[in-house]
Amino acid sequence: MSTHLDMAQLIALRDGDRSEPGMADTQLHFGRCLTCQAELERLHQRTARLRALPRLEPAINRFPAVRELVQVDRRQRHWRGVATIGIAAAALLVFGAIGRDLVKPARLDAADQLQSTIHESQLLEQKLHSLTPDARVIDGRTAVVVIQLEDRIASLDAQLAQTDQATARGRTGTELNLWRQRVGLMHALVDVHMTNATNVGL
Amino acid sequence: MDAISLPDADAVIARARLGDPIALEALYRAYSTSVYNLARRICRTTEDAEDILQETFFEVCRSIRNYRGDGSIWGWIRSVASSKALMRLRRNKYRDTDQLDDELAPTRAVSTALRMDLESALERLSDTARAVVWLHDVEGYTHEEIAAQMGRTVSFSKSQLARAHARLRGWLGEEVPA
Repeated sequence: MSTHLDMAQLIALRDGDRSEPGMADTQLHFGRCLTCQAELERLHQRTARLRALPRLEPAINRFPAVRELVQVDRRQRHWRGVATIGIAAAALLVFGAIGRDLVKPARLDAADQLQSTIHESQLLEQKLHSLTPDARVIDGRTAVVVIQLEDRIASLDAQLAQTDQATARGRTGTELNLWRQRVGLMHALVDVHMTNATNVGL
Repeated sequence: MDAISLPDADAVIARARLGDPIALEALYRAYSTSVYNLARRICRTTEDAEDILQETFFEVCRSIRNYRGDGSIWGWIRSVASSKALMRLRRNKYRDTDQLDDELAPTRAVSTALRMDLESALERLSDTARAVVWLHDVEGYTHEEIAAQMGRTVSFSKSQLARAHARLRGWLGEEVPA
């Protein structure tokens, strides 16, 4: 190495930085070159003087301003938290209301339909009663049909009696289904008796 | 450059983590001069340094819960301060006087009467070079750490340091006659 070490090489020597390329040559040159040795010494001295520069101190105490900023920040965080909770609560209410509106019609429909079906069954009962079937003579084949229908209606009534003792959950759907079957049977029974009444009338 | 040691540091830090204003003020009193000194050496104006001091301790108060005690409390506060100072440099986009000095260099080189003291020479470095010199040679940051904070490469940090020392040597009249 013919030329002297550059500043990067001197700093690498000072810091013991072995990652610098050609460090072996650098150290070889340094060991023989008084100029570079003097340069490194000056670098050491300059660094020491930098570290010995007087400490500069702030003219004013900034902590009151810091404390004020912290308090403002805490208040903002608090209100952000409150606002977040408020928004969450409002969202729950909104979704609750929407959810209720979404669910309620289905529940109301089922209940309404049940009431409507029961009412229809009651009307058919009244209609059947008005036909005074016991007062009329019916043929054997019709009597078998009537007995089968009445047995199936009695069976449904027994099932409906059991649903009354069941829990409320899911009862409406089962009841509605049974009442619909009952209405269908009642229609059939009424039809049979109406036909018989008509025929008797003829 | 070490900060003044904080007596009963663990207890003070524990209370500060709970938001105790007295403990937070104790941290400020212990380290405000060191933070200001670092900021003032990196930035050009006292106003910037005071702003960095305030921003640093505001951040310390906000984030001390995140301090896990892995390193010294001063090391953590110093990293906040240096980050704020470097951010301020980027934001201000100071005029790079080092480039201007290069243009004037021939005039100054022949005038040995213009030898500067170290403080003035340090002030005259470019913002980036001055920050690298201070962070590396005085605060003890590695080139890797400086590169990470500046978003640059390790070789960038090394070359800035070498250039800065070459300039300081010239401005201080320290060149060794060949």
